[in-house]
Amino acid sequence: MTTTTNITSTTGSVTPFDPEAAAALAALGGFPPITPDLIPVVRQGLPGQLPPSDEELARDGAFTVEERSVPGPDGAPDVSLLICRPTTTVTGAVYWIHGGGMVLGDNRGGIAEALDWAQEFGLVVVSVEYRLAPETPHPGPVEDCYAGLVWTAEHAGELGFDPARIVVAGASAGGGLAAAVALLARDRRGPGLLGQLLIYPMLDDRNDSPSAVQMADTGTWGRTANDTGWSALLGAARGGPDVSPYAAPARAQDLTGLPPTFVDVASAENFRDEDIAYASRIWQAGGRAELHVWPGGFHGFDVFAPQAAISQAARAARRAWLSRLVQA
Amino acid sequence: MRDLTVRLSALDPDAGAALRVVSYFDELAAGHAGLHAIVRGATSLTGSPARFLDARRHLRLRVNSAGENEPGEDDVADGSSGPDPAWLSAAVDDVAVLWLERSGPPRVVDAVVLERACALARSVLERTRPLAASASRRQDADLLEVVLDPRTPRDDRRRAARSLGLAPETPCRAVAVVDGTALVLTGPVEPPLGSRRAGVGPVVTVDELPGSWVAARRALRLTAEGTATDPGPRIVHAEAVQGLLLLAAAVPAGAPPVPDVGAVERAAVLAPWMLRTLDVLATTSSRRAAATELAVHHSTVQARVLTAQRALGWELQDVAGLQRLQLALVLRRLHRNS
Repeated sequence: MTTTTNITSTTGSVTPFDPEAAAALAALGGFPPITPDLIPVVRQGLPGQLPPSDEELARDGAFTVEERSVPGPDGAPDVSLLICRPTTTVTGAVYWIHGGGMVLGDNRGGIAEALDWAQEFGLVVVSVEYRLAPETPHPGPVEDCYAGLVWTAEHAGELGFDPARIVVAGASAGGGLAAAVALLARDRRGPGLLGQLLIYPMLDDRNDSPSAVQMADTGTWGRTANDTGWSALLGAARGGPDVSPYAAPARAQDLTGLPPTFVDVASAENFRDEDIAYASRIWQAGGRAELHVWPGGFHGFDVFAPQAAISQAARAARRAWLSRLVQA
Repeated sequence: MRDLTVRLSALDPDAGAALRVVSYFDELAAGHAGLHAIVRGATSLTGSPARFLDARRHLRLRVNSAGENEPGEDDVADGSSGPDPAWLSAAVDDVAVLWLERSGPPRVVDAVVLERACALARSVLERTRPLAASASRRQDADLLEVVLDPRTPRDDRRRAARSLGLAPETPCRAVAVVDGTALVLTGPVEPPLGSRRAGVGPVVTVDELPGSWVAARRALRLTAEGTATDPGPRIVHAEAVQGLLLLAAAVPAGAPPVPDVGAVERAAVLAPWMLRTLDVLATTSSRRAAATELAVHHSTVQARVLTAQRALGWELQDVAGLQRLQLALVLRRLHRNS
């Protein structure tokens, strides 16, 4: 007799949104499915949203802020790193990789939460300005991220922390790139990482999991937008047999030897099933991982509905994991 | 936290922002969101911390500008500030109040948020915490009695006040309602009272509530039905009639009326218009204003004055005579409401 459980796709209705998340989405007027022709439009950003200035990043003298140009991958241009150093005690570093579906954003995106951690735990924040798809396809973006990480580890002494105490972190595409950088660091034997903090990471170019099908173009970053992002990065190779795990970490056959991992994702978003699978596979490979699935969130719920109870809980869970990691 | 507010104002200055606020609370309603989510919504849409206080249900919430619940004032050291009377607020029902911790003038978004948040909070409270009116009112009456009794030791009063949702430094006032009900209010006076006759005590801190209650009860004695046979204000604020409160104290129940009161009573039976006309004469600044108030021609007022003077036995043409009339009318109310 067979004991195999055959999981068939049970496409029912969509997972309902949390009321506060739904309310914020309604107040914002919803998001259109992002097709390739909309990339130039979304790159202009949302009205009223300016990237934080150096003065804002300095947080009344809590940080010194500088932008450093460091060597990029072989044969490629230099990479710019935004470095925010606490003016008090330093115990380690967060290497932050911004999100934006591989096609938009800059190294000031999403950095506010990383600075919150840095203030609480005495961490240097290094945020990398990687080149974007489609102008720069794979492996340009991930190699830029890796080159910046190598420089950061090599200059840890100058920046005031132990090179063994770097946590890579990122949200969405940044979470996917952080996971890829952790695979590269493992396979190239350095730099050693203290942990990887993956916030609803974008991991799987196939974009065909049950949650991807179920949630379709609901929320913010739906299935169409995800196709747009992956196709920009991988072109015709997207979804085919030859995609590198350094582009799409869900493709990795081997998830052993990774640093302690934090994964969070929302139950009502495209990435739900690929992110849960990634954490599960780390456990199956004998690794350490912590997984949170926030009920009723859409992709980026904590950014668009920061006051929602689930958003506060999500931020608290990240802080708690970091606290255990860096204060161990 | 700031993001949603910033985006709202950037996208749509007034009317558009109002529509989005309505969408926000409609979604909360559709998702059966609770009270915390509503107060957080008020905060996130306006960028101001928000408070909700329902003394009858013993509910008290404060959400800071980061959207986090802050500890109740029980946990804050004495001296922490209660709601500032200048903050924007709206009544959820006849007791509960929602505040935005910002002073006016309200922006369009503030007004719409207060209106929608209060409407939704009201329906959530009615659904999730319906009041078994008699039981919860009786319990409140017990607490109020403790709070308002001057013989209650200070710490006991503060404890009872906390159970009513009042921190020691919360500005509040006692209100005496004609049906014998006592209220302690921290927010607007009008909505809870509706059309009920009431005396409103001065704004004080919890420790001074018994004094506010004494003044409120005296102010209540200065109210009237506002009818032809009992003209006068239905609501009297103690702060506006400080001298008359002393008079109220000097006229206890059963005290014999002075002859001027008897004169007013005798005049009253001469004509149905008499008491109302006397009241208007005593409280308006000119005959012309009195005529407008009474909706009669000023020659009619003049004729009525002559009739009234004869009935009362004193002149009404000068300030002294009008003052005598005014005090007689006040004394009449004090005797009627003793």
